[in-house]
Amino acid sequence: MFRHNALRCTVLLLLAAAALFQALTAGYFGLEILTEILILAILVLALDIAAGFGGMVSLCHGALMGVGAYAYAILSAKAGLSPPVAMAAALALTGGCAWVIGAICARSHGIYFIMATLAFGQMAYSYVFEAPVFGGDDGLGGIARLDLSLIGVDLNDSRSFALFCLAVLGAVYGASVLILRSGLGRSLAGVMHNEQRMRALGLTVWRVKADVFGLSGMIAGLAGVLAAQHVMYISPGLLSWTVSGEALVVVILGGLGTLVGPLVGAAAFVLLKHELSALTPHWHLVVGVILIAVVMSRANGIFGWIEACWGGRAERRAAKAVRKQKTKEVLSDA
Amino acid sequence: MLETRNLDKSFGAVHVTRDVSLKLERGERRVILGPNGAGKTTLFNQLVGELTPDSGSVHLAGADVTALPVAKRARRGLSRSYQKNTLFDGLTVEENLGLAAAVHTGSATQLWSDSLAKPEVREIVEEVAEQVNLTDFLQARVSEVSYGVRRQLEVGVALATRPHVLLMDEPTSGVGPEMAKGFHDLLNNLPRDLTLLIIEHDMDLAFDVADTITVLNYGEVVFDGLPEAARGSSLLKEIYLGSWEDA
Repeated sequence: MFRHNALRCTVLLLLAAAALFQALTAGYFGLEILTEILILAILVLALDIAAGFGGMVSLCHGALMGVGAYAYAILSAKAGLSPPVAMAAALALTGGCAWVIGAICARSHGIYFIMATLAFGQMAYSYVFEAPVFGGDDGLGGIARLDLSLIGVDLNDSRSFALFCLAVLGAVYGASVLILRSGLGRSLAGVMHNEQRMRALGLTVWRVKADVFGLSGMIAGLAGVLAAQHVMYISPGLLSWTVSGEALVVVILGGLGTLVGPLVGAAAFVLLKHELSALTPHWHLVVGVILIAVVMSRANGIFGWIEACWGGRAERRAAKAVRKQKTKEVLSDA
Repeated sequence: MLETRNLDKSFGAVHVTRDVSLKLERGERRVILGPNGAGKTTLFNQLVGELTPDSGSVHLAGADVTALPVAKRARRGLSRSYQKNTLFDGLTVEENLGLAAAVHTGSATQLWSDSLAKPEVREIVEEVAEQVNLTDFLQARVSEVSYGVRRQLEVGVALATRPHVLLMDEPTSGVGPEMAKGFHDLLNNLPRDLTLLIIEHDMDLAFDVADTITVLNYGEVVFDGLPEAARGSSLLKEIYLGSWEDA
């Protein structure tokens, strides 16, 4: 089950403080990068719940993000629904789609689960790419942001939108912790550790997996709605398997199954991408080398490495304290 | 309470269960004996639904459950422990028991509450921990406790689903004499209305606990009767008990 410890709380506070500082002080370009990080962080939190805590390594979370984005765009821009209603409907639709995918794929494991989710993702991508109602290759534009003028917030302002995304990310993180600490989350931990025994105890395992995948998909859909509002334009590329692959890279880079790690991964990935792409068009090569180094180091991503160092330091401190105590005892005996 | 009618199962040319018919009354404690490869665990797997019999049927509380999957049989009160520990190693002893209790109380899929914080789950966890002598280990991770404690937990997890029928596959497998003695008390202190079917090689334990004994040999029931009769059976001595009697 997910537990917060001193290190996780510290890293979380540092990340929140850095994001808040950036949101309040950065210029336009800095705010755009921050918003990109925050939206990616929501997507990778969704993926970490499914993959890191449930063993469901998905290659369709990009597509689910796209479903959320397109549903919001169609319902708000074409069907004329108000943005909050369109947003709620988009989340419900994405959650429903994800639940069905989870229910179908729940009986498969490992590479077969990955391939099944990839197939679902590519089906969605191909359909959206070819269907005129979704604007085909050209995508859809004219997407409105939420209207929060009632509380005096103008989300068309980049700073306000970045702060709004930060608030949403905070809420999503809190919801993720609650999910993982709930009865459903505990059962998911049981399934992850020993699926056969959970079944023998009377648990309908596929249902637990489908429920968690549905919730995870809903969060991915929320990332999609925010992405659509951020750029105010969407294209089928959002549903491509490469988006899912990139999200998986970020989760592994940050630290699978830690919740905090993927947030670190999202920040590291977007910053690396922007810094390196300014230096070389082959920035993917550098990111690839870093990913290989992280995987080969056997640490659980950047956060896993930090945790290992922290744990080692704590152990050394404890050993030093024992040595000090023993020396004191010897001296007092003498 | 639990009945099998003409259960038959083969793996290719190997006939592992031959026309096995058993009937356990409520509260009965039956021990299944038999040499290695007699088909005892395969019979258990068919009883709980992990294996489908080629023919024959399984009945639980009068209802035919042969077509039901494992989880549905478990929810009807059929629970099992395994010969090889099948626990949740990364979790604590308390969380292991809590998972089973949560499934029983229906809080295992609730989204807005922590199942382990529910009073009805806590009550089962504490009660079962006391039954299997694990109260002092509740906060320990399974990966950090001894093998004997894990064997106790293996039974505890099965008990935490509040079963009507409990199948135990060699509960004392691999434990020392002192710990095995503890299992005598554990089994004898279980509620009398709980139906027990136990696979066991420890003869002292088997004859201490059993109301009835069934002996399997090459997948076939070769003896079914009272422990006293089992002790006197020459067929049993020949196929299984010889070494024990001689010892």
